[in-house]
Amino acid sequence: MSEHIEEYLKSEYSAGWVTDVESLTIPPGLNEDVVRLISAKKEEPEWMLEWRLKAFRSWLEMTEPQWAHVKYPKPDFQALSYYSSPKSMEDRPKSLDEVDPELLRTYEKLGIPVHEQEVLAGVAVDMVFDSVSVGTTFRAKLKEAGVIFCSISEAVHEYPELVKKYLGSVVPQKDNFYAALNSAVFSDGSFVYIPKGVRCPMELSTYFRINEAKTGQFERTLVIADEGSHVSYLEGCTAPMRDENQLHAAVVELVALDDAEIKYSTVQNWYPGDSEGKGGIFNFVTKRGLAHNRAKISWTQVETGSAVTWKYPSCILKGDDSIGEFYSVALTSNYQQADTGTKMIHLGKNTRSTIIAKGISAMKSENSYRGLVRMNPGAEGARNYTQCDSLLIGDQCGAHTFPYIESKNPTAVIEHEATTSKVSDDQLFLCQQRGIDAEKAVSMIVNGFCKEVFKELPMEFAVEAGKLLEVSLEGAVG
Amino acid sequence: MTLPLRAHRAHQTLQSDTDWSWLSQWRSQAWSTFADTPWPTRKTEDFKYTPLKSLTNTDWELPTGSAKGTGRGVEFENWPRTVLTLIDGRLTDHDELPEGVTVKLLSKASAEDRVRFEQRLEAGLADNKQLFSLVNQALLSEVVWIEIAANQQLEKPLHINQIISSGAQQRVIPVRVLVDVANSARATLVETFSSEADGPVFINPITELMLADNARLTHYHLLMEQGDVRHLGAVQAQLGAYANLNAFHMALGGVLKRKDITVYHRGSGAELNLNGVYLPRGKEHIDYHTCLEHEVPHCTSQEVFRGIIGDQAKAVFNGRIHIHKDAQKTLAQLSNKNLLTSHQAEVDTKPELEIYADDVKCAHGATISQLEQKSLFYFLARGISRPEAEVMLSFGFINELLEGLEDEPVRLLLRPVLANLFAKEDIWARHLL
Amino acid sequence: MLKIDNLTAQVEDLTILNGLSLEVKPGEVHAIMGPNGAGKSTLGNVLAGRDGYTVTGGTVEFDGKNLFDLEAEERARAGIFLAFQYPVEIPGVSNMEFLKASVDAIRTARGEEPMSSMDFIKLARAKCKEVDLPQDFLKRGVNEGFSGGEKKRNELLQMMLLEPRLCILDETDSGLDIDALQVVAKGVNDLRSPDRGIIVVTHYQRLLDFIIPDYVHVLAKGRIVKSGDKSLALELEKHGYSWIDEEVA
Repeated sequence: MSEHIEEYLKSEYSAGWVTDVESLTIPPGLNEDVVRLISAKKEEPEWMLEWRLKAFRSWLEMTEPQWAHVKYPKPDFQALSYYSSPKSMEDRPKSLDEVDPELLRTYEKLGIPVHEQEVLAGVAVDMVFDSVSVGTTFRAKLKEAGVIFCSISEAVHEYPELVKKYLGSVVPQKDNFYAALNSAVFSDGSFVYIPKGVRCPMELSTYFRINEAKTGQFERTLVIADEGSHVSYLEGCTAPMRDENQLHAAVVELVALDDAEIKYSTVQNWYPGDSEGKGGIFNFVTKRGLAHNRAKISWTQVETGSAVTWKYPSCILKGDDSIGEFYSVALTSNYQQADTGTKMIHLGKNTRSTIIAKGISAMKSENSYRGLVRMNPGAEGARNYTQCDSLLIGDQCGAHTFPYIESKNPTAVIEHEATTSKVSDDQLFLCQQRGIDAEKAVSMIVNGFCKEVFKELPMEFAVEAGKLLEVSLEGAVG
Repeated sequence: MTLPLRAHRAHQTLQSDTDWSWLSQWRSQAWSTFADTPWPTRKTEDFKYTPLKSLTNTDWELPTGSAKGTGRGVEFENWPRTVLTLIDGRLTDHDELPEGVTVKLLSKASAEDRVRFEQRLEAGLADNKQLFSLVNQALLSEVVWIEIAANQQLEKPLHINQIISSGAQQRVIPVRVLVDVANSARATLVETFSSEADGPVFINPITELMLADNARLTHYHLLMEQGDVRHLGAVQAQLGAYANLNAFHMALGGVLKRKDITVYHRGSGAELNLNGVYLPRGKEHIDYHTCLEHEVPHCTSQEVFRGIIGDQAKAVFNGRIHIHKDAQKTLAQLSNKNLLTSHQAEVDTKPELEIYADDVKCAHGATISQLEQKSLFYFLARGISRPEAEVMLSFGFINELLEGLEDEPVRLLLRPVLANLFAKEDIWARHLL
Repeated sequence: MLKIDNLTAQVEDLTILNGLSLEVKPGEVHAIMGPNGAGKSTLGNVLAGRDGYTVTGGTVEFDGKNLFDLEAEERARAGIFLAFQYPVEIPGVSNMEFLKASVDAIRTARGEEPMSSMDFIKLARAKCKEVDLPQDFLKRGVNEGFSGGEKKRNELLQMMLLEPRLCILDETDSGLDIDALQVVAKGVNDLRSPDRGIIVVTHYQRLLDFIIPDYVHVLAKGRIVKSGDKSLALELEKHGYSWIDEEVA
């Protein structure tokens, strides 16, 4: 039976084509001059350059983390190019109408609504292509509500006070090796500010596309939800199929002020490499949110891509009564390796966190959950509940769980559970005996396994996520 | 060479005092690996939560001269046993051995025995990546090797009564106990550790259990020493086909206790029950690292560890279950529950699953909390005072594991010890005694 | 002996009791009936002093003293006994240890000598037999692995051992078959005495066939909306609670 499942898994990566546009890509290599060049290309103010240089100098002193349960050839940081932009973007188009249609077609082809009149009109999109933001839809409509949604490059110019105040406030420049690298060379990404008491009138989303070869993407996203506001944000990612590994080292910072709520969803479909384990994205990402009093931060992620993933969307529950949530589905197949999970740092009183992590490993992949739940001495009455489940498909893969659980407060309650299971021959047989073909049966079982996470996704994405899993598992059964 | 753990002189004294070249070489090999291993810091995964500073400011010496003290150690009431008394790691006395049991000592090995010892030690389970197994090997001066012949059903338990003698001398006490249970033999092994010392002590024991096919062993490993004692050691076990190991571990405080328990399932159908409790108070620190290596199919493991952590104490639990690639049809379960009873106490737990086979049933669970409010209210509503209710409920939390013990005398020994441990005033424990 | 006046209480900011008044005199048996969610269990928990129930108004006097001045264990020692609807399981602590601790605490509070262990075991065994619980019950963990009926009989056993002044039976009939119900009812009837008050909280009239109340009260929306004698219970049985709702409206 398991060979059928493998057959089912050998599917094509559907987003693996290349957009044929002329790009301006700076030569490979990394030094202070490169950092200055990136800053100059973006015409950044002096303070921004200084911030980058400080990060770069720290990075030079740091070493790559070794603790994750992944094996990969160490990226050669001098062989990568740190900035690449479609040539047409150099002219700084003023609106979407001026953007090279070939670029917009890239997003259309990926199913992203780039025209405001389209069906998914409830979603505003920022499109990031290699190192630059191509354009952002619905800006005017959002502005009416006082919501700022633009690229981080624009924000540096137009909202310097907000950027200065919050950039690096959740993920400091020196936080870790890849965060420091990102802080030095970050190119584009999204900036969101929701004013006090405002409920963002539509879903916001950013769609990241790596196109150019031998480049890394270092996006930076900053979401600030002011007191009592509410926002739901989604991100999606794809890249062409290439034989070499490409590096994606992003930093996402969320700030939820008193009574604010941020819901951050990711459907990550970076190119995972081929069936021999060749190529694919190295996805080394730092995502963290800071929740003030009674604020809520909810991370939902569906991870199907990347050759190697190293990612722990986290919550610092600083304010009393704040809430952190992490819902995750991570699917690995072929030679993919994922080491992903979350950290819930409880500082405030009566803080609450929930972690639901579902790992599915198939073929020769390695899938690890790594998490930290920490109750600091001040976390009076705090609670955490964690459930980690692994589903194994085939006997060549690995499924691992590494939860770190720390408590310094006797009134805090932590509950952690983990289980493993497989798609059993019995389950498949039952389905088949009732007339359901094996492929459909696996997809049903996997979807059932992930149900608790999918229900947290915004509706449009839940459908997409279900399909994505189905595609990723396609050909596994016959 | 200066190492944070200052025991080089002890190592050299030993080396100059032997004509057994294999042993001397074996020790120096371990010493040089140890010396090359970076001293653990907070970034060393294995010692992330357990700082070793209490080991570093002392020049550790091996015990010299004859041991002082009562030599009584831990005694059980109404439980006929075969007692082997070890004081400061030296066998000082033993009861008559039952039929089918042989005991050999490294320190008294004949030329013929030396060859066997060499083979046995080299084939041993000690993990030479484990820091304190290396220390043990580098300082090895005594091995107690117990062999239980095939098909023997021991009526009386073997009790290895390890005593740290009185005296203020700063001692390092390395000792190794090997217990080989041959095919279809059945035995109970009780290991107790107690201390009469007034000065700093670092005891570094390793117990190795080899269970051949169909062998059954009930094992108690009770660390009862308190006071200025550091206990860093390991228990390693290998299970043959259909072997059954039923183990119970307990640690009361001391300055620092760290026990690495590793069980290798190497024969199909092997069964393991591994239970334990840890009860640090004051400023004590207890760390249990358990690792279940499922190397072959069709084995089962059930593991339950519980701890109560009070005052300014700290407990660390790391429970790893490793299912190797071919270990299909494994059943492995781990539960770790902790009661944290003070705002200055800390507990860090990390249950781990590492799974490379798909047709297995594995699960773990961990909790940290205080006493359940619902239970507490039930007691209060029946007029029982809060402190007494807390003592009774804490005791009950641990007693759930004691109730599963096969041997009533162990329960009777531990009951009052635990009851009094939880009660700051005797009166709160009166209904448990 | 119990005088509840205009009591209001909240659970998690939700008002459950809303101006409840009730007086129980020694020797009386009061039945409190009402639909689900009326606040029946809350009343017992508030009287027994459970955490999480906030009294926001009104007074309760027990034997002339302000009940709210007493901690939960002090109320138990003063003679208030709550028979729980869902008695909690406490593995690791034996029934014997638990019962002895409780009896000792309450005897001490009454100025009596603690019982010797031998006497206590004898007494406990005898009571076990009365409520039809097996002998090995005393050695087992508190309520551990008990059936619903065994748990309720254990509550009754405790009540017999502690000889409280005021018994509050919180839905003691729920989950009992007819035989178990009769055992429990007999136990309660045996405890009826001129100096003891009993409050029977129940959803169904069935229990009141066996424990005949002196008064029946209907609790709805957090207060007593109708009082009468045992015939009121029969009326409720016949017409259901919606009839009361209409009347209150």
